[in-house]
Amino acid sequence: MNNAVEATGLGVRYRRSWALRDCSLAVPAGRVVALVGPNGAGKTTLLHAVVGLLSPDQGRLTTSGEVAFMAQDKPLYGDFRVAEMLRFGRRLNPSWDGEIATERLATLGIPLKRKVSTLSGGEQAQVALVMALAKRPELLVLDEPLANLDPLARHDVMRALMTSVAERGLTVLISSHVVADLEDTCDWIVVLNRGRVQVSGDIESLRTEHLMLTGPVELADRLDATVIGASYTDRQATLLVRSAGTLDPRWIARQVTLDELVMGYLRSPEAAALPAPVVVQA
Amino acid sequence: MTWLTWRQHRAQLITTAGLLIALGVLLLVSGREAAAYIAEHAPAGCPGPDLACGDLNAAIAERYNAIYTVYGWLPIGAPALIGAFWGAPLLGKEFERGTNKLAWTQAVSLRRWLGVKLALLAVAVMLGGLALSAMVSAWRPIFGDRGSFGNLGDFNMLGVAPAAWWLFAFMVGTAAGAVLRRTLPAMAVVVAVVSVVTFGLFSLSDHYAEPTRLVTADATATYTGDVRLVGKAWVDPTGTEMGSPPQGACPRGTDVGRANALQEAYERCLVDKGYRHVVYLHGPEQFWRFQWTDAAILFAGSLLLAGLTARRTTRRRA
Repeated sequence: MNNAVEATGLGVRYRRSWALRDCSLAVPAGRVVALVGPNGAGKTTLLHAVVGLLSPDQGRLTTSGEVAFMAQDKPLYGDFRVAEMLRFGRRLNPSWDGEIATERLATLGIPLKRKVSTLSGGEQAQVALVMALAKRPELLVLDEPLANLDPLARHDVMRALMTSVAERGLTVLISSHVVADLEDTCDWIVVLNRGRVQVSGDIESLRTEHLMLTGPVELADRLDATVIGASYTDRQATLLVRSAGTLDPRWIARQVTLDELVMGYLRSPEAAALPAPVVVQA
Repeated sequence: MTWLTWRQHRAQLITTAGLLIALGVLLLVSGREAAAYIAEHAPAGCPGPDLACGDLNAAIAERYNAIYTVYGWLPIGAPALIGAFWGAPLLGKEFERGTNKLAWTQAVSLRRWLGVKLALLAVAVMLGGLALSAMVSAWRPIFGDRGSFGNLGDFNMLGVAPAAWWLFAFMVGTAAGAVLRRTLPAMAVVVAVVSVVTFGLFSLSDHYAEPTRLVTADATATYTGDVRLVGKAWVDPTGTEMGSPPQGACPRGTDVGRANALQEAYERCLVDKGYRHVVYLHGPEQFWRFQWTDAAILFAGSLLLAGLTARRTTRRRA
């Protein structure tokens, strides 16, 4: 299977501190990938490296094919008319598909004559998305595309995005610090914490591999599983575990939600680092 | 890219062209009016440095005071405006609004994006400077030959100087925008750098050529003309040059405030004893040599700044 993004030992340094460190990652083509992590984890830095806005200080990074990027805050030229934004796209991209762009904007009811600065936040996000899609990319990278949007606009943007994914089978890499935003749309997840990749894998497999166990505290020591996170009360232990073997029947096991999974890893960065929680398979 | 450059910078292009046209009209109207006035009032050989022209010169100066004020600000004001409004926002505004992340992730490479913009705008800026120089060159002779070499303001408005200065100021603004990533501070840097370099180059110009050495009993006459004074010294009656005459050669008083009588008496006494003034100066025949030397320095500076700009942007830290 081809990889849309491949990074090995990626490191990016700002002055003395590392924004990304020893970051290795492979994203299979055709996936819709959620890049999650707390603020300051290095998500934007990683995305900027992927789209070539910055060159890493260490390691190697390859992407395949045309890459389109929608930066945080969806920058557009505010004094341009929508039609001029499209002209900008056409002039700067040989692969530009003007028909897609005008059709989509017509469907959305955004007039080409309007000045970009007079559009609503949701409309600007749509124009930015159209700009990215009209490049006909193989990899679409979106940095916090839903931030600063009202729920209706969020829904519209995600729907527009998913329609194009379905139509063209492109790889999408979306960052967010809100896991819930991406839960329904993504099928691959990358968890970035303190500049390192903690988890990278297919969401369904991750959810099958992990279990949330509740049971008596005294059983916790004799558990045949890798414990990722744990919380205790006087008598009860609640554990997030991976690759559990045969379980004592006194454990109550249930499937984890994506949010629980991510939170579990983020809360224990050390536990997850050794050994690598998920082997990245090319 | 040509379209994008035009679209993003047309406001500056149109405004600058408009201001140049307005200035042109002002110079044309004032020039024609002054020519008519002079034809009516001037004695033969005026306007000029002749004594008989004094009244006319004073009348003209009063009549066109407002235009002289505008003209007087142009040598520093025009490059400063170019640097602040053409150069500073070129990258400063992109960084401020985050639109660099849009522009630099298109198929056109950053190298090309920057190269085309810098090249097109640099040419436009230099054409503007040349237009200004041409207009000023046509306008000034109407008021008589007032010299074009000794006065820094005049010198920087003629020949190739405006083009070189405008280009340099544009690149200062661009580089400052690239380094500071903000428009307003970059504008301030332009004003500071243009002012400092203007006077810095004037001091440096002493060394552009071997100065002419004049030995004379009356120094005032030599350096009130259209010249740049480099240095003064004395020669004693035997012909030996010295920085200042030996102590006790003549009685020397100290003037109070702005009075000059005692100094003049001292110098007269020295001249009577056979001492002579030595004056080192550059004369107006050096006009083009100095124009091209200034221009070469400013071009070299602009190239360095373009290199700095390219380095700061292509180092790719968005």
